[in-house]
Amino acid sequence: MSTVTRTWLAFAALGTGMIHLALVISSPLPIAAVLLLLGVVEFGWGVMTFMRERIAYPRWVLFGALLPILLWGLLTAAATALQAPTVASSLGLTALGLATLLELFVAVVLAVQLRRGVDFSAPSRMPSAGRYLTGLLIGGIAVAALTTPALAATEAGVYAQPHGEHSDSFVPRVGTTDTSVLDLPEHPGH
Amino acid sequence: MSSSPNRLLGVVFGAVYVLVGLLGFTVTAGVGFIDTSGGLLLGLFEVNILHNVAHLLIGAALLIAGLSSVPAARSLNTTVGAVYLVLGIVGLFLVGSTFNILAINAADNVLHFASAAVLLAVGLGADKSARARA
Repeated sequence: MSTVTRTWLAFAALGTGMIHLALVISSPLPIAAVLLLLGVVEFGWGVMTFMRERIAYPRWVLFGALLPILLWGLLTAAATALQAPTVASSLGLTALGLATLLELFVAVVLAVQLRRGVDFSAPSRMPSAGRYLTGLLIGGIAVAALTTPALAATEAGVYAQPHGEHSDSFVPRVGTTDTSVLDLPEHPGH
Repeated sequence: MSSSPNRLLGVVFGAVYVLVGLLGFTVTAGVGFIDTSGGLLLGLFEVNILHNVAHLLIGAALLIAGLSSVPAARSLNTTVGAVYLVLGIVGLFLVGSTFNILAINAADNVLHFASAAVLLAVGLGADKSARARA
């Protein structure tokens, strides 16, 4: 496996790990616990993969990449069957959809390499410095372009940004009945 | 230097960020030092004066470390990468808020995350056999 490919897999793992972690605060406790575990493992694996020369236990990594997709599917199916849609809808579509793309990328690359009989015990091949950096730059931009909007679409991202560009003094707070902010000043002539 | 990915990355990223910092001043005429909205570089990336200064300083640091030695380049790439990762996360919270003293927008966040990824990957992963060699 090329070092560039291995690094792309690490980028994807970092991205999907961060997305899962960003979903923790907006999810019901059991789902939040699973997301926290997934996020920490994925992020940690990504950083570790930067540092190591090879990918250990590729079949387990392949399974790990598909596991979040499987769990999301099962949760949605269960929520539908039990007619409790809010259980799965708290997760939203955008963030996990983009995380799924990253996970599928990892799964497909590993599956193809396993099928080709690549020797995972051998250290990854390092190309020339220029090609290595170009490959990393392309991969970094691609993963960041997917991860950033996914993070912004999570509750953490939504809470972080005030809705629209209005200042707080104009928009009445949700749940209040105080509309004094909408009162116009007195004007003569009527 | 061309055989060390860390030194090459330090020099290239450093030079690019210095250039970006200088170009930033061409779009921030009339923008305050810590204004929460600023000018758009390349029509995409929002910057204010503080943001330009930060780019210049980070670029200079990366450039100097890249020109110096492999250990210096590795350390600084890793450190700046970690800082950019934190900035990317914090940036999600800063966009549109009154604390956005760097005038960060969504495109800036993508670039910061991408830079963090590349800097960390190279800083942590490359030149491992050249620990003490310059």
